[in-house]
Amino acid sequence: MSSSRPVRWRAVGVTLTAAALATGAAACSSGSSSSVAGNAKQTITFAESGLGTEGAQTQAAINAFEKANPNITVKVQVLSSDSTTYLSQLEHNFIAGSSTPDVFESDVTYPAKFAQAGWVLSLKQFNPDMSQFFPTEVAAGTFNGQQYAMPWFDNPEGLFYRTDLIKTPPKTPAEVVSDAQAAMKADKSLKEGIAFEADKYEGAITSFLTLDAPFGGKLDPANVNTPGNVAALKWLHDAIYVSKIAPQAVTGWQEGQVQAQFSSGYTPFAINYPFVEAQPAAAAVKGHIGYIPFPAGPGGTPGSALGGEMLAINAKTAHADAAWKLIQYLTSPPVETARAIAVGDPPSLPSAYTPALYSKAPYFQDVKTLNTYAAPRPVNPNYLKVSSDLQTLFSSVYASSSPNAAAAAFAAGAASVKSDAAATPGS
Amino acid sequence: MAADTKTEANGRPAHAGRPGRPTPVGHARERGDRRLGYALVTPVIVLLLLITAYPLIYNIWNSFHFDNLSFGGLPHNFVGWKNYTTMFKSSEWVSALERTLVFTVVTVVFDMVVGLGLALMMHRPFRGRGFLRAAILVPWAVPTVVSAMLWKTMFDPSAGFVDYILAAFHPAWSSIAWLGANVWRSWIAIFIADSWKNIPFVAIILLAGLQVIPNDIYEAAKIDGASWWQSFTRVTLPMLRPALSVALIFRTLQALLVFDVIYIMTRGGPGNSTETLSFLNYQTFIVNTDFGAGGAQSLVLVVLALAVSFVYVRAFRPQVS
Repeated sequence: MSSSRPVRWRAVGVTLTAAALATGAAACSSGSSSSVAGNAKQTITFAESGLGTEGAQTQAAINAFEKANPNITVKVQVLSSDSTTYLSQLEHNFIAGSSTPDVFESDVTYPAKFAQAGWVLSLKQFNPDMSQFFPTEVAAGTFNGQQYAMPWFDNPEGLFYRTDLIKTPPKTPAEVVSDAQAAMKADKSLKEGIAFEADKYEGAITSFLTLDAPFGGKLDPANVNTPGNVAALKWLHDAIYVSKIAPQAVTGWQEGQVQAQFSSGYTPFAINYPFVEAQPAAAAVKGHIGYIPFPAGPGGTPGSALGGEMLAINAKTAHADAAWKLIQYLTSPPVETARAIAVGDPPSLPSAYTPALYSKAPYFQDVKTLNTYAAPRPVNPNYLKVSSDLQTLFSSVYASSSPNAAAAAFAAGAASVKSDAAATPGS
Repeated sequence: MAADTKTEANGRPAHAGRPGRPTPVGHARERGDRRLGYALVTPVIVLLLLITAYPLIYNIWNSFHFDNLSFGGLPHNFVGWKNYTTMFKSSEWVSALERTLVFTVVTVVFDMVVGLGLALMMHRPFRGRGFLRAAILVPWAVPTVVSAMLWKTMFDPSAGFVDYILAAFHPAWSSIAWLGANVWRSWIAIFIADSWKNIPFVAIILLAGLQVIPNDIYEAAKIDGASWWQSFTRVTLPMLRPALSVALIFRTLQALLVFDVIYIMTRGGPGNSTETLSFLNYQTFIVNTDFGAGGAQSLVLVVLALAVSFVYVRAFRPQVS
């Protein structure tokens, strides 16, 4: 009878528990610090978020890399395609001190945070030649004067316009307004004059950045309340409440909705990313897409905002040399060109914008121009907090119909951005 | 080992309930059973402790330390009550607390009143009552994520049902942006979405409560000449007390911890005007990865919820007459 063996049962229970704990402990301490030479036989892990065709393209590039480097096997770890989840998945590995993934994809806003935490390897030892990349994305991967991440692809946000409705592209921000009004008057099928992202999310920051430089503004968290920034934000606020070329509904729009408005032929102007070019569009829109930096106002320069993905190496990896080889391969001109042709990810190297690419997708000529203007978001280790402050700032300004309320919301937002960007915690 | 052998040598049984030996008394056998019981539940208890007690204690520990992933390289220093004092002093937290309390009071009162009305209505016999009772459960059965998404679409200024209806009444009421464009309109939309989902819950609980009130009490009241209102306040409400307390506790805690409907519909916007305590906590914990401050916020929220439940449980304690 089982009930008459209590002692043995207890022993079994204790043993099982101990075994479970031991397994857990072992799993937690799988980090290794010895390093493996680049030419030794080894397997490295590459974490990325690519799904569908993007994921397939990455896999194809990796297969070619493995063929060229038979000693290195690359294990692809596909993490979430949701950026918040992706970030926390990466961070779980870093906090646990894991040596994998050895190399990973990183949004342009993460490297500063990772570098500050000591989670990514400084690339100084590899002596990377950064001059061959667009300087704006290089800056996004630099922290305290050192390079921590390599530009992989570069998504510049800019101004889309309908070439059939707007015969000559606008030269100034004021012309964007007058052109939009004229187009709305001429074509009753238009629902608005301009569409942009004003929902409370990261895109509100990039759409603002797109027209910040044209007004002479600069998004420095320590000093947001500058005449240039105010002028840029006032233009967007006026678009909703004064010239009314944008509907109040923009306060709920992200890049997907903005793209839908443009591709459906509801708006002559839209602030968005290059992916719009490759989307199915209404017959009236097809073949009539222009893509330019936002035109400069007095004292400004043409504007674009930087989005994109970078590649970085785990600080705890034992395979730094092999990881670097993979990064070099993925960021080489032919591989970047192939990726742009296959899935439309804009290369981070000017030299990868080849005639072959243009013949497949002529709009990449515009993308290249925009990339020379693309302004990066603030490089700050506390960027996640700074970003949510900025999102709150823009969202409350867009929701304030009166200029006074908008100005008050702006001042309050600028103050919290400043204090969070300068935060020196840990005491 | 030597001691064991000695005990055996002394002729005293080392283990009373050993197999193969006749069990001397029922007492020892019972003890053996109990031990087996403990042994069997031990793995589960250990597992539960690992996944519930450990994170809770770790969270308390966190709330007294600096632990922010944005500064992952810095040591997790002990900071005393700093996370708490910063929170109590931050205007963002204080406004979130005020919003949460107002939202809780307004939605709970509204849901209880309307829910009670629906329950009274469904309690009366009429044709199609069974169908109505089943149908009213549907909003409650829909996950909040889905219902919030649904309402977000309904409030869409160009494709939404709400816009369609309003435009049918008056052309000037078309294309109104509800979410993210205006503080009051955002709150109204959230309130409607939240009530649509939660009123049925209150109604069903109260309906169950109504059904156990014996009919003869109403008859007795009628014979005594009680009006409808008198029998409602003197019979229905007191007899409904247990059901009311259950509905009230559940609704209050849900409203106090409201997160999903806000997250889906407004993300706390415009600005942070629809940020509740839970949303702020998510923002601090998950988005800003500040586990110290986030830990403090979540613990205060837990204490708040416990305090409310405690008050309710005391207030609704069955009275011994």
